[in-house]
Amino acid sequence: MNANVDADMKANSIDEILKRRRIIITCGTGGVGKTTVSAALAMRAAQLGKRAAVITIDPARRLATSLGLTELSETPVDLTRNLREAMPSHKIDGTFSALMPNAKANFDDFVKELSASKTIAEQIARNPLFQIFTKEFSGTNEYMALERLQALDLTGQFDCIILDTPPSRNALAFLNAPKLVAELFEERLIRWLVLPANRLLSAGMRKALGILEKLTGAGFMTNLLDFASTLFSVRVQFLANFEKTTRLLQSEAVGFIMVTTPTPEAAPDVHHFVRTLQEHRFHFEGLTINRTIGYLFKSTSKPNQATSPGLPVLEGIRKREEQAMRALSSGNIRICAMLPELARDIHSVEDLLYVANAFETHHAQ
Amino acid sequence: MGALFGNRRSAQEPLSPVTKKPKPTSKIAAIPLLSEVLTRPVIFVSGKGGVGKSVVTQAIALALSRKGRRTLWVELEDPLKPRGQLSKIAPKLWRLNCDAEMSFEEYALLKIGDSPLARMFIDNKLMRYLAKAAPGIHELVLLGKIWHESSRYESVVVDMPSTGHGLALFQSTKNYATLFRGGPIHEDAEEMILTFADSGKTGHVIVALPEEMPLRESLDLDQFLMEIFPKNRATFVVNRTFPKTGVPANIPADPTNWPSPLAENPLDYLNRRVLLEEHNLRIWRDQELSFAEFGYVSPAEAHTSAAIAEVLSEQLVTGGHL
Repeated sequence: MNANVDADMKANSIDEILKRRRIIITCGTGGVGKTTVSAALAMRAAQLGKRAAVITIDPARRLATSLGLTELSETPVDLTRNLREAMPSHKIDGTFSALMPNAKANFDDFVKELSASKTIAEQIARNPLFQIFTKEFSGTNEYMALERLQALDLTGQFDCIILDTPPSRNALAFLNAPKLVAELFEERLIRWLVLPANRLLSAGMRKALGILEKLTGAGFMTNLLDFASTLFSVRVQFLANFEKTTRLLQSEAVGFIMVTTPTPEAAPDVHHFVRTLQEHRFHFEGLTINRTIGYLFKSTSKPNQATSPGLPVLEGIRKREEQAMRALSSGNIRICAMLPELARDIHSVEDLLYVANAFETHHAQ
Repeated sequence: MGALFGNRRSAQEPLSPVTKKPKPTSKIAAIPLLSEVLTRPVIFVSGKGGVGKSVVTQAIALALSRKGRRTLWVELEDPLKPRGQLSKIAPKLWRLNCDAEMSFEEYALLKIGDSPLARMFIDNKLMRYLAKAAPGIHELVLLGKIWHESSRYESVVVDMPSTGHGLALFQSTKNYATLFRGGPIHEDAEEMILTFADSGKTGHVIVALPEEMPLRESLDLDQFLMEIFPKNRATFVVNRTFPKTGVPANIPADPTNWPSPLAENPLDYLNRRVLLEEHNLRIWRDQELSFAEFGYVSPAEAHTSAAIAEVLSEQLVTGGHL
């Protein structure tokens, strides 16, 4: 997008990316293995000597499960020992931690933190719209993930943070979320709702509000005005925060990696995603293609004459993978890693190591 | 106000001593067969991202339309298709890309009548902002549109957003039905929840893959849906299972006992895949959960979603589900 176009055009290995950026944000649609890739990235960073942390916002505790833990907490859990035990022959200079902030409580907490006033906290507690908003507004989880990332970064505890973005249908949801939340705070509009003098300025506006009240009932309007005035009272702090977050994401400290599976249908999404990243002036580091089966067919183990009814399916998947590789690498999309489909689900640091090591193998190819 | 909007859940809980949650098999509504669910006028297809919800939805819609039912296949805000587009794609089969902003307009005009005043209301900048920003409105109008359309078709099959966002659609509507009083929006939300909770009118299908995370998350989804619709249990479908074959005895049946998570070659992968699927499906079987199965459609056989849906719709018929 700007001065570092030349540097950006060059394909980078994961190791180079980890050395270059302090924060890596992984994006992708649900089911591509984003959480696994994120954890493996942090592990790789620890192998490279970084103090690394993976942060995930995920109600389903995927990260905990794949690390072989029952749960993770709001504060970083140090797993360096588990990593050392898993690879006793290696000297690991860095550290490896994981954390999972509670997404549900967060938006309330965040508004409370912004306001630092008791009245606001009480307003939030009694207004049902805040309950709905915190749980269901698409964008809140994504926005709060960024807030947590920033807070963790500021502690200076880590020199490599991997953010596993919340699950969503499309990778763009994450990029658009902060803007969506920011629109809520758009001053002019909230002002209409909050300041009675302004509301009286326009007869049209008064009529519109009248209709809305008729549609929704009086209870809703009271709560909506209360909701808006709460947001209004913290808007200055919010917008300042929002700007800070955007600046961080655009900075040289942050790189984005998109995770995808090897299917040709993923290509339009990937291209769209990379374009949007560039529009936001964020740094795209490359595409990680997860769950590839090509390696099975390259194996050097003795050829087996036996056959199986599943073989035509697997052959079909292999051909699709080859098509996908062509479709995905068209244009100027860089592939920074290809990871193997594993034969079982990941339940331990040992299994994750197979993924982390694949980063190295890919680069060697 | 505070008391009125207090924590409803605790207010509704019986004042009995705390007991353990009952096992899913006792007391709770039994899991219906897929074949039974497919006869209901509205069908919601839910599940984790990436499990093939969209293609399963399309297959169900296609199969129903071929059985002669006037069918609407609903996608919710697919960004790659024109907003609100309704198109006829086969005899008796229509596809709608439902859009919240357009549905909000349509709803407002329906309620206040199409007049210059109504137009002014819709075009009002503040109203547009509210339709987007007021918590839950977005979700409410999407479901409202589906509810409204259901009177025009014999079957409506909905491709729900992945787990969290999908639940939010139901939860928001339920919130509007319970947290507020008075006004058409509240009344309609109440009516919608009654319709979607009624096993005579609405079916819920949960799709998963024979992999651990999707199977586990489907159980959570089932729990959440039961909280919202206690008398309308979902039916379960596992998608993309590999053909079942005999496996050499030297591979341990429990995948956690394998020395490495990698397979050595295609045949080794397939053998392990069969064991892995069996191992993973125990997550459902342990809950005495019955389910329907869709076999993996080889990409060599069908590689567009329309072609895969075609094969799956045949599987629905051959499997006796329709």
